[in-house]
Amino acid sequence: MPRPTTLLLLLLGMSWHSIPVTNAAPPKVDYQKQIKPLLARHCNGCHGAKKVMSGFRTDAGRLAARGGDRGAGIVPGQPEKSLLFQVLTGTDDIERMPYEKPPLKPAEISLIKEWIAQGAKFPADEKVVRGRRTSDHWAFQPIVRAKLPTVNNPAWTRNAIDAFVLSRLDREKLVPAPEADRVTLLRRLSLDLLGLPPSPDQVDRFLADTAPGAYDRLVDRLLASPRYGERWGRHWLDLARYADSNGFTIDGARSIWKFRDWVIDAINADVPFDRFSTEQLAGDLMPGGRLDQLVATGFHRNTLVNQEGGTDDEQFRVDAVVDRVSTTGAVFLGLTVGCARCHEHKFDPISQRDFYQLFAVFNNCEDNNDANALNPKISVPSPAQATERARLASAIVSAEKPLAEHDRRFAAGMSAWEKRLASIDAGSFSTLKPARWTTAKGAVLTRLDDDSLIVDFSVPANDTYTVTLETSLESITAVRIETLTHTSLPKNGPGRGDNGNFVLSEVTVAAAPASGNAKLSPIKITSAVADHSQEGYSISNAIDGNPKTGWAINTKTGSPNVNRQAIFFPAKPIAHPGGSRLVLSMAHNGESANYLVGRFRVSVGTAAPADLKIPGPILAIARTARDKRSKAQQAQLVDAYRGTDSGRKQLSDTLIDLKKRRDAINKAIPTTLVLRERKQPRQTHIHIRGDFLRKGARVLPGVPEVLPPMKTAVPVGTRLDLAGWLFEPGHPLTARVTVNRFWQRFFGLGFVETENDFGLQGDPPSHPLLLDWLASEFIRRGWAVKDLHRLIVTSATYRQSSATRPELLERDPRNRLLARQTRMRMEAETIRDTALAAAGLISDKIGGPGVYPPQPEGIYILTQQKKAWPEAKGEDRFRRCMYTYFWRSSPYPFLPTFDAPDATTTCTRRSRSNTPLQALTLANDKAFFEIAQGVALRILSDGPTPDSQRLRFGFRTCLSREPSSEELGTLSEFLSIQRNRFSQSTKAAIAVAPARRPEGVSAAEAAAWTAVSRVLINLDEFITRE
Amino acid sequence: MVPHDRSQTTSIPEQLFVREQTRRHFFGNAGLGIGSLGLAHLLSDGQFTSAAVTKPGTPGVPQTGHFPARAKRVIYLFMAGGPSQLELFDYKPKLQQMDGQVIPASYVENKRFAFIKKDAKLLGTRRQFLRWGDSGQQISSLLPQLGSIADDVAIVRTVKTEVFNHGPAKLFMNTGFNRFGRPSMGSWVTYGLGSPSGNLPGFVVLHSGPRGPRGGTPLWGNGFLPSRYQGVPFLNGADPILNLSSPGGIDREGQGQFIRAVNRLNALRLRQVGDPEISTRIGTYEMAYRMQSSAPALMDLSGESKHTLGDYGVDPAKASFARNCLLARRLVERGTRFVQLYHTDWDHHGNPGTNLGKPLDQRCAEIDRATTALVKDLKQRGLLEDTLVIWGGEFGRTPQGEPRDTLGRDHHIESYSMWMAGGGVKGGTTVGETDELGYYAVKDKVHVHDLQATVLHLLGLDHLKLTYRFQGRDFRLTDVGGEVVEKLLA
Repeated sequence: MPRPTTLLLLLLGMSWHSIPVTNAAPPKVDYQKQIKPLLARHCNGCHGAKKVMSGFRTDAGRLAARGGDRGAGIVPGQPEKSLLFQVLTGTDDIERMPYEKPPLKPAEISLIKEWIAQGAKFPADEKVVRGRRTSDHWAFQPIVRAKLPTVNNPAWTRNAIDAFVLSRLDREKLVPAPEADRVTLLRRLSLDLLGLPPSPDQVDRFLADTAPGAYDRLVDRLLASPRYGERWGRHWLDLARYADSNGFTIDGARSIWKFRDWVIDAINADVPFDRFSTEQLAGDLMPGGRLDQLVATGFHRNTLVNQEGGTDDEQFRVDAVVDRVSTTGAVFLGLTVGCARCHEHKFDPISQRDFYQLFAVFNNCEDNNDANALNPKISVPSPAQATERARLASAIVSAEKPLAEHDRRFAAGMSAWEKRLASIDAGSFSTLKPARWTTAKGAVLTRLDDDSLIVDFSVPANDTYTVTLETSLESITAVRIETLTHTSLPKNGPGRGDNGNFVLSEVTVAAAPASGNAKLSPIKITSAVADHSQEGYSISNAIDGNPKTGWAINTKTGSPNVNRQAIFFPAKPIAHPGGSRLVLSMAHNGESANYLVGRFRVSVGTAAPADLKIPGPILAIARTARDKRSKAQQAQLVDAYRGTDSGRKQLSDTLIDLKKRRDAINKAIPTTLVLRERKQPRQTHIHIRGDFLRKGARVLPGVPEVLPPMKTAVPVGTRLDLAGWLFEPGHPLTARVTVNRFWQRFFGLGFVETENDFGLQGDPPSHPLLLDWLASEFIRRGWAVKDLHRLIVTSATYRQSSATRPELLERDPRNRLLARQTRMRMEAETIRDTALAAAGLISDKIGGPGVYPPQPEGIYILTQQKKAWPEAKGEDRFRRCMYTYFWRSSPYPFLPTFDAPDATTTCTRRSRSNTPLQALTLANDKAFFEIAQGVALRILSDGPTPDSQRLRFGFRTCLSREPSSEELGTLSEFLSIQRNRFSQSTKAAIAVAPARRPEGVSAAEAAAWTAVSRVLINLDEFITRE
Repeated sequence: MVPHDRSQTTSIPEQLFVREQTRRHFFGNAGLGIGSLGLAHLLSDGQFTSAAVTKPGTPGVPQTGHFPARAKRVIYLFMAGGPSQLELFDYKPKLQQMDGQVIPASYVENKRFAFIKKDAKLLGTRRQFLRWGDSGQQISSLLPQLGSIADDVAIVRTVKTEVFNHGPAKLFMNTGFNRFGRPSMGSWVTYGLGSPSGNLPGFVVLHSGPRGPRGGTPLWGNGFLPSRYQGVPFLNGADPILNLSSPGGIDREGQGQFIRAVNRLNALRLRQVGDPEISTRIGTYEMAYRMQSSAPALMDLSGESKHTLGDYGVDPAKASFARNCLLARRLVERGTRFVQLYHTDWDHHGNPGTNLGKPLDQRCAEIDRATTALVKDLKQRGLLEDTLVIWGGEFGRTPQGEPRDTLGRDHHIESYSMWMAGGGVKGGTTVGETDELGYYAVKDKVHVHDLQATVLHLLGLDHLKLTYRFQGRDFRLTDVGGEVVEKLLA
């Protein structure tokens, strides 16, 4: 049905096209005179060269026809299918255009409709103004390196940073804070660069180093410490949203810690930031493609995977790609590009098309919310594992050769074998006529015409048949018993059991020459085959000498009531010149009554046992001409032939063993998730309103138009091109955003406080010249991170005291002007590491799989699935906190309590909250109480004896500095109260004191010192970087 | 003023400056009570939303909203897994008639489902529906107790959500967005209003049933809001909060001595370096100390009468939904702003143990009496008029049956039922109508964002104005949608 508006037009006869009033064709619409001015007046304001909403321009016929984000604008000849016409009345999706302005007059709409109906012709040479989005926003302008400003007090400055900072303070008529005392500086540096406090020894050594350059030497020493890579690696992992599980509700485990270790190693190796970043964004596409570069691409595999049943994998794959775009935008560009997923960016010059061009860069990775395998992933062996794996691989190749050779030779013999099989007359058993027979318990056997014996109804519960038979054959290789059905037997037999089954417990044979009265000799039966055995009642049971086991013939499917046979092979042929007399004994000792063989016949064979053992069906196949056999028959035959291969086992056992060892080592080698490009590229379309099911115009990989263009090595841009683009010398954002974030780590806030939004809604930089100077310096130094950090921490600005002054609290409470340093509560990980270090417990082991330090009970009551938390024993209890296994749906509770990010999206800055849950954790958590006990032990064993000395030692162990006399007084008073307490209650003392205390120290004394230590690790200063 | 009031277009630095000014106010008073537990009265505002930390104005007085509030607190009974509206609240005779027939194609064109196929067969309910109260609300005979308070309850039959997997759908219901990272409703509310409880968290989460709700901690997470706004899950043991008990061998007096020593030293440090953050820390230790007695007292039901325990069906020794309902009442009595109860599992696909037969009977029996007792108890104590009670799951269930072992239905997002009662809600009403098969809303569709906007409205908060600037955007609970459902308002 037509839309109301259209209907109205029809009724009013406004559409020349639809109402043939006359035969005359409607007049030809002139694009230049009638359409172009119309579009210019109503549309070009939002859809022209200067402003391009929805990627759609109407200022040239070609552009209008091409369309925008939603696809083609014009379908020539079909106005109803043309977006340009549809929007004039509006559609379900699109508001009526012009947006929030009066609609076009009906006649104008009709004109456009007619123009399209006539084929939407426009001059081929129509000029198109090249529109490129530009912006005069500061962050999109090139980085300019300013000259150092002059300052009032040049003596205060230590490097260029200080000149910029001081010049700003000069303007504000503020003076910088005095330099912090040396202990504070040491502790600050140590916490900032290593995330660990200095030990009292390190404090003493630094204080003792009074030679010039002591501070610089300290900085160099700290920058060279492997702890630096852990500390700054953890910062990077916030950005990388690193975790050890898949997220969402199932939140299964994943193995990607090799990426975490790569980050630590790369930072310790001071890999320049451009290479560091490029390897993470596109290590798989870099020439050479080393293993470590592949590991680095785990950066963008830290996206979530939804393992829930009934999910649409494509939806979550798209979400992961969106996250890669947003994360790249936040981390490197400092832009909220994710805002343009559903519509044009509200504030920044970033279009939805820009977003999906970036999306296209990341849209070609293989991963696909594949919850089971999490592919693509790679193995990352240690050097020893790599050697062993290579050794096994070559051993396997060596072992495969002789086996293949054997198989080849053996296979060549098959046709000869087949031929022989076909010639075997294995059916040629000679039936022997029973001469005499007896039964032990009275069963009555009768011989039938076919020389079989049948037992009658009066059968006893159990019995043993003994049958004497004679043959003139001189060499007998096998004795066959056929059990036969008969209508007189239950269910036709062949047994006398209720269901026609039997249990034949033992079969024995004795023989003597046929002539004469020689004594019977027992014949040793060494093997037997049956054409069918019931499960648990194998034919071998009938010759095992054990009367309690036997052969039976019931079936799982099909009827058991059919003829069966068993063949018994003597160790060597029964050979007597002139023939043999045989005595066959068949014992039935089954637990069920009447399970006797009901009818049977005995025959003997003379062929080779190996041939006789070949099942009849196989022989039948062999006798069938090859081209008449079914595939299954041929396969059966091949199997049977293989069964005759006795030489193979040893060779194949060797290979199987090698392969087992290879599999074991492969299992032991850790895997890690990586990026890999699909061979068949995906097409990327704009998702209308961000809905992945609603595809708009197709886009190719690209970067936001407002930024410099991306150079591409191949026609279609790749992740590697994107990485190269980020580090183009003229790129205005990457260096600024990165140094700003470094600054934030050292001062609490960046110059641009909105560290992830350098766009129009972000805050302008507090020190624009310094930001640019540092950015240009970073580039000039080849993106060398340690150099830049050295520059920052050796500045006078950094070395200021963080104490506030009343006038600063008034003028600059948030320290934007940098007239002092900033006190910062430490990050969750640093708090725990600092506590472990104070207790002397911390392990210095770097890297490896996530660890499970003790955590309170009851963490998983509120998750869908209980998570594995095999509490660590030994050293792993005391690893740095960054190695703690991170389950996204239920993190180690200490971490979120102290604002560690949840690792679901990139975190460019952590909040620093201050809550009673933190107080409860530090005060009462079992792990922290153990740490307090550890500190107490150190005080009691390391410290000198007088209380005041011990208190000083404890204070220095936890806070690095000496206590003031007032502080000492408070602690000392507390100590005596606690001593008093615990001397009154041994029970309490024992509960509080460390389990093992130094000799000669009472429980009460140890408990009192534990209480003191507990106070120390609960102080605000203990968890604060001053 | 509410933080990040869009109409006032305050920038982040200004907001933070206000915060700092507040701290400075504290700093100025630091000499008075620092170093003793006497400081407590200055910090008695809810510890998670301490006015001292976030808000200007007189500490200890909860924030006021954008307009007068009808409700002051929320008890949200979250029925995890997605209860079947077609068995409980939305009776469809036509569906009964068409039982066993393939659903007409027009219903399911371009639709995606978690498990069933497009040619699934319709399933009429096997349950009885009755009319209850003066209002004549239609409620299943599975919920007779609820029927007895039908006149206090407003049923919404047309809730529309957007995602059909449990985890994302629960996130959507709680945070207005189907992926991790946004603050939950309770976080937004305590961020906007603070909490009058000085000794207990402002946002508490309780859980009952065989397993935790799918989605885990992000369901009550603070997202990008400061972590003090995150929901605090209470455990079912004697120690409802992690690390609540003092270490063995340290009694209440010893703990008091410890806190006093810590805070004395902190106060000395505050004098040395002048950082207002230290005064906040002093406050948090004092509050932690108070929580150590107030939280166990909350859990101790010995003061509740036999009569009350009987009404709820509580065995004090046993963790249960009923006990959580009673705890919810005790929490709101003590000033907690937002209590959320998760009860699992309503995911009745039709497997043994999760189907619309006995397992549904059992779930209903578990909640009917306790839920009703809670509403009645609140009413009797005069609390219902300003306490909002919400009942519902993350989505509903399809009119089509699921071809599994027993009777069951798949996840349904087009239209499902929830109910609300109390503060500002028009009792005895049913909002919305679904089509004859109960598939789509045909009248008064209530999107999840609309429901969220309504909850905030009842609390005196304008969902468009309760925002927080993060990564360059002013985020709100209702994302880019939300309209207040006027028909629900008394």
